[in-house]
Amino acid sequence: MQVTEAFKHAFLKQMLLGFQASAVSTKSMGFQERKNAIKLSADVAMAVARGSRKWTRGLIAGLSEERQNRSFLRLILGEQYESLLKPCHSSWKIPRCKKIVRRSLRVCWRKQKKNQSGVLARTLVEKRTQELKRLVPGGESMDGSSLLDETLDYVLSLRAQVDLMQSLLTTFEASKLRSHSKRRLPERKASYVSK
Amino acid sequence: MQCLRAPLSDLSALEGQRACAEWQQPGQEQSDYHPYDADYCMQSLCPVETAFRALHGCNGGGENENHGNVHGSNDCFSNAWPDIVSSMHCPVVGAAASVEETSVNASSSSSSRKRKSENNRRSKENSGGSDGKDDSNCKRIKEETGVGAATPEAKRPNKRKEESADASKENDKAPKSDYIHVRARRGQATDSHSLAERVRRERISQRMKYLQDLVPGCSKITGKAGMLDEIINYVQSLQRQVEFLSMKLAAVNPMMDINIDSLFGGREINPTCKSASIPMIGMSSGAIDQSYLQFGSLQHDMFMGSSDLLLRPNVNPAAAVSDTSLGSCLNVNGSSVWNTNLQNVYGVEFQLGRGTALPFQSLQGNLLPNNLKMEM
Repeated sequence: MQVTEAFKHAFLKQMLLGFQASAVSTKSMGFQERKNAIKLSADVAMAVARGSRKWTRGLIAGLSEERQNRSFLRLILGEQYESLLKPCHSSWKIPRCKKIVRRSLRVCWRKQKKNQSGVLARTLVEKRTQELKRLVPGGESMDGSSLLDETLDYVLSLRAQVDLMQSLLTTFEASKLRSHSKRRLPERKASYVSK
Repeated sequence: MQCLRAPLSDLSALEGQRACAEWQQPGQEQSDYHPYDADYCMQSLCPVETAFRALHGCNGGGENENHGNVHGSNDCFSNAWPDIVSSMHCPVVGAAASVEETSVNASSSSSSRKRKSENNRRSKENSGGSDGKDDSNCKRIKEETGVGAATPEAKRPNKRKEESADASKENDKAPKSDYIHVRARRGQATDSHSLAERVRRERISQRMKYLQDLVPGCSKITGKAGMLDEIINYVQSLQRQVEFLSMKLAAVNPMMDINIDSLFGGREINPTCKSASIPMIGMSSGAIDQSYLQFGSLQHDMFMGSSDLLLRPNVNPAAAVSDTSLGSCLNVNGSSVWNTNLQNVYGVEFQLGRGTALPFQSLQGNLLPNNLKMEM
């Protein structure tokens, strides 16, 4: 995946739309509520801008598990929302036949009897793979190589998200600063004049 | 005669079958169908070529409407083949019309299956010959169309068997193209399990290489476990950064309502974007104008030295904030440029000596949320 201009463009637009949809600036919300709304619209913007990938579907599925998010999601996604939710559920695990799993485990166990050296390394890798599956949205239903694929994609998108939010932040803060300075100048002038 | 099969596949196959059925075994059922028999029939009925062409002419363009074609073709058929058709009954045709689709489908699928199995058999027989190798190579290339292709691993072991049987002694280890060629290397096991394992491992190692380039500080680490560790840490840190930034954005209150229509030039999302069209939410421009003007004037008044900076000074405040300016503001060249912009912005503001609303002054490119939490 390449972080293209179109992607960033769409991402920013989606995020601003999301801000407006959840009306973070106009409504009087608590701080925590506002923060959650911002994070939600940022995540949804990232998923929408990226398109349809396993992790985006997992992300949206995960977000829609909470009731409060659903109306927002429906608003933003429109008719895509229903179609996105149907095929993939984030906690869906790969269905495995018990007999086959048992047979393969037996084969592995016999091989391991002869080859003890790789056990430690394998368990370490296994543990970390499990951890990564938890981190990447929709990760539990992926196997090793596709998990790495999705991680790659997800990392790129996360980076773009962080950059975008940082630049938005600086824009807003700078403008706020500007407005503050404008307000202060006439005050100073007034105090000057009065003296 | 074979060449005729292609354009007249639906009808001619069935008609050939019917002709054969009537010709050879009048009592045979319509649904019993062998493609080879049909071929044989067609080949034997050479003088019928002209008749077929007439048929095709009769049917015209409506090949999809099987029913109409059947009847139409039947007429032509009767004209061209008086001998055969006299034995055909109309109700047979009527029944055949409904059976036609299913039989054609069945025939096409069965024929395709037969052709496929033939190919497999042929390739297995000619494993030693160059033809077989080319075939299987072609198949492999068709299957493995890139790094991320979901190749059917079950098929591969079978093909690998025939390849490895002759190539097990080869010293050729380097791949010939970018595709992942799997040949049993010298002195390695050649059973399908280990070959499939090796393919899987190679794929995973390739992905790990990409990730290594992506995650900073991963170039020194070589083991899989270590790299996974780094990747996990990086993903966690990015997620924490997002949390933190959303918190900061929430703290900037009130936020500017940017008039999106004018920002993005009122045009739709460009088609290169992967997302489908998103419903534009109606925006009330009343309260927005004030803040929008502020934003515009900000752009104008902001005195920044370099042109790379986040907010361009040369935008006319009265004019709409065009999407190009904002797009270039968010500077598309890459995240590193955004970071330098960030630093420049902070630098200017420090020079201004304003009472900063920014409590975090040590911000570099990668925010370290741990440090920031402490400062909080």
